[in-house]
Amino acid sequence: MDPTSRPAVVIDNGTGYTKMGFAGNVEPCFILPTVVAVNESFLNQSRTSSKANWLAQYNAGVMADLDFFIGDEALSKSRSSSTYNLSYPIRHGQVDNWDAMERYWQQCIFNYLRCDPEDHFFLLTESPLTAPESREYTGEIMFETFNVPGLYIAVNSVLALAAGYTTSKCEMTGVVVDVGDGATHVVPVADGYVIGSSIKSIPIAGKDVTLFIQQLMRERSENVPPEDSFEVARKVKEMYCYTSSDIVKEFNKHDKEPAKYIKQWRGIKPKTGAPYTCDIGYERFLGPEVFFNPEIYSSDFTTPLPAVIDKCIQSAPIDTRRALYKNIVLSGGSTMFKDFHRRLQRDLKKIVDARVLASDARLGGEVKAQPVEVNVVSHSIQRFAVWFGGSVLASTPEFFAACHTKAEYEEYGASICRTNPVFKGMY
Amino acid sequence: MLLLQAHSRFLLETLLNRVHNLDKAVELDYHWVEFDDVRYHVQVTMKNPHILLLSVSLPIPPPETIFLRGLPFGAIEAIKAAYGVVVQILDPPRDGFNLTLKLNFSKLPPDEERRHILLVKIASVREVVLGAPLRVVLKHLASRTVAPDVGQLLALVHRPKESFFLIPQAEKVTVVFPMRFNDSVDTVLATSFLQEFVEARRTAGLNNAPLCMWSSSPPLDLKEVPSEALSANAGFVTFVIFPRHVEGKKLDRTVWNLSTFHAYVSYHVKCSEGFMHTRMRRRVESLIQALDRAKPDSEKSKKTINNRSFKRLSLKDLKESRSNSMS
Ligand SMILES: Nc1ncnc2c1ncn2[C@@H]1O[C@H](COP(=O)(O)OP(=O)(O)O)[C@@H](O)[C@H]1O
Ligand SMILES: [Mg+2]
Repeated sequence: MDPTSRPAVVIDNGTGYTKMGFAGNVEPCFILPTVVAVNESFLNQSRTSSKANWLAQYNAGVMADLDFFIGDEALSKSRSSSTYNLSYPIRHGQVDNWDAMERYWQQCIFNYLRCDPEDHFFLLTESPLTAPESREYTGEIMFETFNVPGLYIAVNSVLALAAGYTTSKCEMTGVVVDVGDGATHVVPVADGYVIGSSIKSIPIAGKDVTLFIQQLMRERSENVPPEDSFEVARKVKEMYCYTSSDIVKEFNKHDKEPAKYIKQWRGIKPKTGAPYTCDIGYERFLGPEVFFNPEIYSSDFTTPLPAVIDKCIQSAPIDTRRALYKNIVLSGGSTMFKDFHRRLQRDLKKIVDARVLASDARLGGEVKAQPVEVNVVSHSIQRFAVWFGGSVLASTPEFFAACHTKAEYEEYGASICRTNPVFKGMY
Repeated sequence: MLLLQAHSRFLLETLLNRVHNLDKAVELDYHWVEFDDVRYHVQVTMKNPHILLLSVSLPIPPPETIFLRGLPFGAIEAIKAAYGVVVQILDPPRDGFNLTLKLNFSKLPPDEERRHILLVKIASVREVVLGAPLRVVLKHLASRTVAPDVGQLLALVHRPKESFFLIPQAEKVTVVFPMRFNDSVDTVLATSFLQEFVEARRTAGLNNAPLCMWSSSPPLDLKEVPSEALSANAGFVTFVIFPRHVEGKKLDRTVWNLSTFHAYVSYHVKCSEGFMHTRMRRRVESLIQALDRAKPDSEKSKKTINNRSFKRLSLKDLKESRSNSMS
């Protein structure tokens, strides 16, 4: 049967989390940490065993091949047994370990989605900074190991823009602010094409917020067991953090009404099983503050996110700038903090207004510049906007025509995977 | 050894999620597809939060198999036996599906453990439905009889438009799988995997495992089967199942393992390919190192900075050069 009659498989491999599912749905089937636990003891065994024992070697290889876990299962395996080593296939948005990546996909396809890869077209995502070579590797693995009938590799920021497709009217010009786990990118897109020279990256993302909260809680010597403190910090972040409009005021509010603002965390010590509690105070608003006042966390990088967005738009072609300010789209889990978009919009508007005022003054008040409309768009599916955009695009009929097929791959080789056309439905 | 579980992971997660949040009304509408073209549709509406409609479509049966009203024989009885009052079969099913079940969460057993077992069973609906005829035959084997209304040779749907064959007898049941693969590399790997699989069982003292054979041409038992149903590019695998393989709890496992045999082999083929790629990547790395070492010293010192001639550009280098050019 024709694979185009089945829904395409959409997988967004993020540095921290992988979102996977079938096109046409509003949610991914699974959101899993992008991590693999491999049992290395098999591989080492095979190396030391004698030549005569080739069958044992072969079997060891096969066993090692089967003996690995991904996602939350990988994390719990490595916690409970020292024979498993964790490996993170993606770093800063780029595939770093192709063996681990191939295994990760294998489990995604066979054990989680449980589909036959020969039956479905695939849509995968990449960061706007991904090198063409990396796309070739991806193509090689998809076509040769998994025999997929067709493949499209989309730029994640473009998909995040496309996610707005159903929530408002389709607008393929805008700036995508993608704040994930390990990387933050500000990516301007015009008519579905990334303006590569204007992309800005920030070395602060979700993981840094978690680390910062962990540090704050440790400094206050809350009695969280050390082996759990990172996980607890992450959960505290996801459940209780919010964006304040002004930190000084926020400190005052907490001090005046602690009962209203201080939350309690209840946990169980993994080793002894004893329950414990700890307080969650200022970190509720200090966590997200690292994006707006990075100097409280890092001394190397101190430019606030709104200023980076402004720089990004200012470096884009002049005729696109107004449209870019008008459609700033949030994507990624770390944009989920309450009121994040409000703060971003306000701070960015301040920068823009100040610039307009300055230029008006320079021109002596004879000609007034038109006010610039700044609009930060927020929607409920922000956490997996990239995946959702992929799901929408991969369920349009144009998608299948825009894919590279296995036949093309066999005729022209992996180099065809270097680019994928922008297609109708994207703009 | 088999990695595939009988239940659909996503379906089980969806059911558990629903059961734990019954007080929250939600709108759910999920479509997805599993191997061998088994399709699912799950629907929950705001109006009836404790009702879930689960529709399943099965692989298109080949002409030699028997389907009654869109289902393999024994399926309706199997559903009723497995799910009891929690599930009602809707007739007719939703458009485009072979079966629609109406689940009523308020009828789930109150006991936590029993409830979980039942939910896992519901998530294993493909095993219950597709495995039904095989289970009927093997159940009779357990009591050393032959099911009354089945013939001497039985074709059961295995994959879309492909069947596998059963020869039921009182003392043993012979099961034959014609093995087909689309990709030529897969065919070669699968063929050798199957031969080794058979060999390994013979030598490794797996005396309790079912007898197993591989042949390149159809076994004689299948001489009455139309030849279209027997075109197989990776040969034929025959298992002989004895009563001891289907005693008590072993029955479910045996039914599932047999009805997903192709998926099992295909998974192993993909694993081997992945394993080969890993080895190939290591090989290339070590060759590059060897070539680098073999370069004459003069050349080495000349090109210390840009010594990239034999090296595949790595992502790290690329990122560095990119960030340099960007700043
Ligand atoms: N509700 C939430 N509030 C704040 N942060 C969240 C929330 N949900 C997830 N996150 C964080 O978002 C990050 C994951 O975002 P994601 O976009 O999936 O990352 P990536 O694509 O880089 O893997 C993690 O650091 C996670 O802790
Ligand atoms: Mg991401």
